[in-house]
Amino acid sequence: MGDGLARILTKQSFDPEAFIAKLAIDGEDALLDMRQKVHALNEDTAQALKKNVYKNYSQFIETAKEISILEGEMYQLSNMLTEEKSLMSSMMKLSLVSDKAMVEGPKEEKKEESPEEETRRNLAFLLEKVEGCSSVTEVPGRHLVHDTDLVEVEPETFVQIQRTHAFLLSDSLMMATWVPTRRGPMRYRFQGLYELDSLAVVNVRDAGPIKNAFKILMFPETRMYQADSAKSKRQWLDILEDTKKKKAVKDKQKKEAANRLSDQLSPSPVNSPMGEKGLPSPVFKDAPEEPVTIDTDFLQADWLEELPEDLDMLIAQRNFEGAVDSVEKVTEYLKACPKGPALKEFKARIDHRVKQLTDGLMSELQVSPERSLRGGPRAARHAVTQLIRLAKSAQACDLFLKNRSAVIRYNIRQLKFEGATTLYIRCLCTVFFSSLSDTAKEFLKAFPDHYGCYSAFVIWAKQELVSFVSIFRRQVFESKASLTTIAECVQLAKKHCAELSSIGVDMEFSLASMMDLPIQQVIEETRDQMVEGIKYRTQDELWRPLNLQNKADCDKFVAEMKALGFDVKPYVSDVCFVALTHNTVQFAKSSLTFVDDLLRLYTIELENMIALAIQTVFTAQMQQFQAALKSDKFQSERSTIVKNAQFVGEKVIGRIFTLYQQNDVTLPLQLQTVQMNFRQIK
Amino acid sequence: MSKAKTQQPAVIHKVIMVGSGGVGKSALTLQFMYEEFVEDYEPTKADSYRKKVVLDGEEVQIDILDTAGQEDYAAIRDNYFRTGEGFLCVFSIKEQESFQATQEFREQILRVKNDENIPFLLVGNMIDLKDQRQVTYEEALKRAQEWRVPYVETSAKTCVNVDKVFYDLMREIRSRKMEAIRQNNGKQKKREKKRKCTIL
Repeated sequence: MGDGLARILTKQSFDPEAFIAKLAIDGEDALLDMRQKVHALNEDTAQALKKNVYKNYSQFIETAKEISILEGEMYQLSNMLTEEKSLMSSMMKLSLVSDKAMVEGPKEEKKEESPEEETRRNLAFLLEKVEGCSSVTEVPGRHLVHDTDLVEVEPETFVQIQRTHAFLLSDSLMMATWVPTRRGPMRYRFQGLYELDSLAVVNVRDAGPIKNAFKILMFPETRMYQADSAKSKRQWLDILEDTKKKKAVKDKQKKEAANRLSDQLSPSPVNSPMGEKGLPSPVFKDAPEEPVTIDTDFLQADWLEELPEDLDMLIAQRNFEGAVDSVEKVTEYLKACPKGPALKEFKARIDHRVKQLTDGLMSELQVSPERSLRGGPRAARHAVTQLIRLAKSAQACDLFLKNRSAVIRYNIRQLKFEGATTLYIRCLCTVFFSSLSDTAKEFLKAFPDHYGCYSAFVIWAKQELVSFVSIFRRQVFESKASLTTIAECVQLAKKHCAELSSIGVDMEFSLASMMDLPIQQVIEETRDQMVEGIKYRTQDELWRPLNLQNKADCDKFVAEMKALGFDVKPYVSDVCFVALTHNTVQFAKSSLTFVDDLLRLYTIELENMIALAIQTVFTAQMQQFQAALKSDKFQSERSTIVKNAQFVGEKVIGRIFTLYQQNDVTLPLQLQTVQMNFRQIK
Repeated sequence: MSKAKTQQPAVIHKVIMVGSGGVGKSALTLQFMYEEFVEDYEPTKADSYRKKVVLDGEEVQIDILDTAGQEDYAAIRDNYFRTGEGFLCVFSIKEQESFQATQEFREQILRVKNDENIPFLLVGNMIDLKDQRQVTYEEALKRAQEWRVPYVETSAKTCVNVDKVFYDLMREIRSRKMEAIRQNNGKQKKREKKRKCTIL
């Protein structure tokens, strides 16, 4: 029915006049009926409109939220991509077969700058490739300069012997032979390590059928190697020469330094390296032959052999959990393994991976400016848990808390300071303390049984509180806000802080101790302002009763005072006169606010200070009364002055006593003295 | 790999060129190897060559190690010298200093090889530039006689006595090897090294 009408009305060709005319033929009833119908339709439409608007509105909000979340995710995605890129490039750098390992001038310089770091990376990688070279990688400062495949050739007969891989390190040349039966990256076996000091290199210019060859003379051995191209050979010769020179320079510097040191002691240490040079020997050659067999059996399991690669893959896929699982598994397994060099080597490989894994996890927790902080504390938990499993709880704890700090800072920065200080402080307190309590809860969940980390949390919470207080101070104390505002803000902070104790974090005392000084200052300032005000106002006090002109206003005044807790009825006379002066009323009001604020700021430490401030203010007022009484000018107003003094002494101070009682604070002695003094005014 | 096995002559004589920088060691070597003279001078680091030659009707291989006159490190030079069976100690007749330096090379070789009778030839190069001669034939010969080694004057440029010095040295090496075989009578190797003291 209603639908039918709506259809007619919304028709394109709807002609209202014809419609009405048609209706009018049926008479008044039909018209009234129609009117009702239109009315109902109107209401329905309004309802529908409202609903639609609301529906669209909520949809709009949702969409906006989605968009912002999407934005955050895009950020994260781009972040992940950059990470991926750096991962790739670092892998490229590590790869032994990649062209990147070729030395270029400027790159070389960089290596010199942080040789330690480079060493660990490069040489740890050697462990992957070459069996039995763990001792080589342990020398600090040693790093990989150049490496390629070479074919070893018998120097007399030029018969090709075997495929080898040569690694030029910063101070020595390591040769490794190719093991054809091996799967995986471990395809070379350590053959020998030759010190560059006494290594003689011969460029084989012409050796009949053998092209691109060079010889390494290392007494008593002579080895001949064939490179795969003339370019490669040239490179080897140049780099060998270059590296030798660099080493010689370095050694010379070292020797000079040592010389200077041991000059008076003995000249022999200088001689000994020379002696070694005279009788060079291939160091470490094939040394770990027998012990290897003991633990190699143990490390023969298929999954173990593939583990390092699997770990690489898991890390690259950011499947940190899986990687940690594997690491735990292997650690457990290796515990039972007999100790030996092969185990040591294997462990070194795993350790290398663990380090990468840790780095990955750490970067997950790292706070970077472009990264969205949307994740919240729960997102961090994942990484934290894995780090704890890797026994890196200290780092995890540190990073987690740093992450939280950043989140708090971010959230606080999001707050806009607009309008009232109290409003801002309310938001600030909510954000800060709820973040704090979130963190605490999350911390308890993320670090169960890691009691060592709890102290870190406590320290962190303290630091955060300090920074919170500094913001608080800036906004509250340094903004010249009124005592009332300050009292309100302080109260807010205290209240929020007290709520923290429900999760076992009690920081009220530190908050109080940090706020103590500014509070004292502000109390003193306000007290002085009041005293000044009292003096200023009494200058032009005439001690005339208040004239409120008419009854209505008088009643209004009485009601107003009543609301403040003062009964001024007895002081009313002649319809619209009140026996109190304007100043007295003013003083009553302001002192009441003052005391109220002070009591809100009340702490045991401040008790005395508050009482003293109130006493000072009231004494100042009392002195005004006394001065007026003594003055000849106000001879005729004496009764009014006394009345006013009594009002202050009895009513106002009485009201203050009530405030004290309401706040459960014991009445200080000073105030009673003040009241006694007022009573003596005659 | 099998290619390398194509019946190389079993005997290899290892010759080392020593002498100061720029006296013509490489020039002599290249002249001997390829019958060509290289005008451009470029310091050698350490180059090795091998050539099949017929020595008195016997097919042998000569392995020449052309060393750097400029090599700074004695320890490394030792390593080169150790691999040699015979030495051509070259100086330039138009450069007195290079002649003086031969003394040092001789001493080092004797020390490293620990053998007074090591095959050794004193070679005065560049006789095509006689007008610039600074080292007389007599004084060079005198030194050679002191050392009990032959003295030969050569020119790499005009190819005077180039083959002679190499062949003479190879003959010396060969006769030394024969002698060694006779002495050891069986368990011999080409050269049996004794451990020696290196006194610096």
